[in-house]
Amino acid sequence: MDVLIQLLINGIMLGSMYAIISVGLTLIFGVIRVVNFAHGELLMIGMYAVYLLCTKLGLHPYVAAFPVIVLLFLVGVLIQRFIIQPLLDADEHIQIFATVGLSTALVNLALMVFGADLYSVTSPDIRVTVKLGTYNVLVGQLVMLGAAVALVVGLHAFMQNTALGRAIRATAQNRNAALLMGVRVNQIYIITFGLGAACVGLASALVSPLFPATPTVGTYFVLTAFVVVVLGGMRSMYGAFWGAMIIGLVDSLSAYYIAPDLKEVVYFAIFILILIFKPTGLFGFGRGTE
Amino acid sequence: MSEQSMIEVQRGSLVQMLAFQMSRPQVYCSLALLSLLVLVPALSGSAFLIHIFVTICVFAALSTAWNIVGGYAGQLSLGHMMFYGIGAYTTSLLVTHFGLTPWIGMWIGAVLAALVGAAVGYPCFRLRGPFFSLSTIAFLEVIRLLSIHFVGLTGGSAGLIVPLKLGWAWMVFSEKVNYLYIAFSLLLLCLGVSLAIRQSRLGFYLTAVREREDAALAAGINNSQVKLKAVVVSAMLTALIGAFHAMYLTFLEPATMFSLGTSIEVAMFSLIGGLGTVAGPLLGTVLVVPLAELARGWLGASASGLHGVVYGTVLVLITLTLPAGLVGTFGPKVSRMIARLPGGNRRLADRITPSLRQISGTKGEDLIKTEDLVMRFGGLLATDHVSFSLKRGEILGIIGPNGAGKTTLFNQISGFLQPTSGTIAVLDAQDAYVSPTAPDAFARLGIGRTFQIVQPFGRLSVIENIMIGAFLRHPHVDDARAVALRVAQTVGLLDQKDVEARNLPIGALKRLEVARTLASEPSILLLDEVMAGQNQTDTMGMVELIRAIRDTGVTIIAIEHNMQAIMSLSDRIIVIDSGRVIAEGDPQEVVRNRKVIEAYLGEDFVDAQGF
Repeated sequence: MDVLIQLLINGIMLGSMYAIISVGLTLIFGVIRVVNFAHGELLMIGMYAVYLLCTKLGLHPYVAAFPVIVLLFLVGVLIQRFIIQPLLDADEHIQIFATVGLSTALVNLALMVFGADLYSVTSPDIRVTVKLGTYNVLVGQLVMLGAAVALVVGLHAFMQNTALGRAIRATAQNRNAALLMGVRVNQIYIITFGLGAACVGLASALVSPLFPATPTVGTYFVLTAFVVVVLGGMRSMYGAFWGAMIIGLVDSLSAYYIAPDLKEVVYFAIFILILIFKPTGLFGFGRGTE
Repeated sequence: MSEQSMIEVQRGSLVQMLAFQMSRPQVYCSLALLSLLVLVPALSGSAFLIHIFVTICVFAALSTAWNIVGGYAGQLSLGHMMFYGIGAYTTSLLVTHFGLTPWIGMWIGAVLAALVGAAVGYPCFRLRGPFFSLSTIAFLEVIRLLSIHFVGLTGGSAGLIVPLKLGWAWMVFSEKVNYLYIAFSLLLLCLGVSLAIRQSRLGFYLTAVREREDAALAAGINNSQVKLKAVVVSAMLTALIGAFHAMYLTFLEPATMFSLGTSIEVAMFSLIGGLGTVAGPLLGTVLVVPLAELARGWLGASASGLHGVVYGTVLVLITLTLPAGLVGTFGPKVSRMIARLPGGNRRLADRITPSLRQISGTKGEDLIKTEDLVMRFGGLLATDHVSFSLKRGEILGIIGPNGAGKTTLFNQISGFLQPTSGTIAVLDAQDAYVSPTAPDAFARLGIGRTFQIVQPFGRLSVIENIMIGAFLRHPHVDDARAVALRVAQTVGLLDQKDVEARNLPIGALKRLEVARTLASEPSILLLDEVMAGQNQTDTMGMVELIRAIRDTGVTIIAIEHNMQAIMSLSDRIIVIDSGRVIAEGDPQEVVRNRKVIEAYLGEDFVDAQGF
């Protein structure tokens, strides 16, 4: 029983990490309708940036979050403006190739610059263990859970209550109608991609103290993020949040009860089954086959 | 090259046709260039050059095989290395444990890959673009992780070494040039299969399904079966190449055998060369692989990742500047240049079939009977207990205000919508009433339909569009073309036969819509507002055309808003309003019906006029 509860706690902590990464992906897909295959590489860029800020400037990772969020917002803006925007009306496979190409280029660029070594940010205060009764949690994991909840609630409030949020929602629902209503759709797309990337910036600052940066760290996380997004119904923040929690739990439980090297098999299997049998996601928020 | 200077060549015996093909510049130029792939390295004798050319042949073959699914069928698989790995592991394990020669083992691997391909493809084909790609990645990852997990079978991450038994029987050589011969033969096999598919009905069908699934269904194409064929062929070829490559590399590990990166590279070569073209994947590989290999050779380990940066950047740049790829962009210009070479000014003479299939049967018998059709969309009752029958030989007009449910009714009697309740019975060739459920089954029964919003295959020429319809009854390309030419002549599109459909004006597109349907030689033709948006002359022409079609024995149902036209054409009219049949009878009767006038002009008008 004790083991099970510890595994559930671990799962929720893992889930909150996936949630932060997946929210950005959901935002970009839901509004721009482009699946960003290079999303994981944004995380990779963010993690190297956090590493550099921490080791060269001696910043605390959580302080480094602020410049990294701004940096990734700008990276997102550039990607949307110069790669996605010219391809908005292109065939779907061209869009896929463009982000896949970007992903390949970035992974290998990191390999050239940093090599295949692991770069860890050391900050002992984040790796302190907190006792919850007889169970253990790291401070960094609790912060991540808090941040995930705050991010999802905050983004939701932003979308519902601000003029910009309404413009983004309008654009997501019908690009042409929004255009006719005077919404600057291209600007909205640029801002949305920036926001989606900025979410990853936050994620990278929170993840860095717990996972080392490598050129392929993004590939590892992004495949999971795609599973989460599909599970959550692809358009909904809350869907992504709960999807992330489920995958976190599946990850933690199957690693213990099945085999550590087969946990990905389990959630990829869930992913494939969801896509095939319930493409609207577990909670019926969206569609994968439209 | 103008049309006039073409010399028409009549069809002859097999030997004559072969001589004709070989003397075409397109053919002899391609063969000459291809042979360079083996001549250059073989004559140089350099081991490094041989290695590079083996790699080129392997990747070009992989990319050509991928293109059958990714290009022709438009299903962007990013997990294709799963088939390569399956071929490689199956063959190597059979050699290791059972001493089975790779020449047989590779075919067992190919069959296994075909089964996996069908199992992966069948459920995933209905997924939209990026989600299909994602699910192929997921399958690749699952297979890779399983191959690491089952150490006993595959050797796990540590890898597997192919037993070093030399000689042709074991496909392992000390004389490296032998590898080149096999790699080159595999490339020829892939190119041959790819070319054969491109020029066959399957190739046309794949294009049709890729461009417009609905129009393809209406032409009687079983969409998932066609895609399944493509994935099975592609998976088999990929597995054969994987089997050979494993023997060449003599070492297998999950990370390289089931690599996502390599899957992407293989797809990338096709995109650079030109998706969906026969020569594109080869061209893309020939241009990019040597660059990357040379960079690796010169810069060595210091530049790890460099070739990936180059690949990724090239990929992004190609999508932004040349999305049609090299062959797609420059291909037409190059082939015009090649056509100026000796032998290029000839073409096969066109054959036009003398007439379309004559429809026979008892006039006046019920061809379609519907009973109590109900179609509900949520709270909306789009079809409300509609019962009617269609009699052989008649032209039945369906009219009604906008939103009355006419097209919804059409969608049900062509299989695009399943009625919520009620039955549809169609008379088949054996004079029995059957109730098909899928659109392609309706088409095969002889119910042809057009779409209100035209659905041309934009990138195919007019004649190719019509051929898509003709293939339903004429599986051979030559026959289908002959039928299509006849139809083009009937509807007046012969002059524009080589124009790409997306460049046609709306009047011609409406006629093309009718032509494609007519070419499938239907016994019942459903016309959905084929006169809308046409000028006076075009409308007159269309009325004449519909009469002419009826005279060949075809029974017609037409939805139309052009009252003058539909009244003069129809033998019988059904009026629909709010999903219900409100009047039925001959045209004169119907126009005087009080309910009909109400439906169109409102109750007030009827009262004021004192009907």
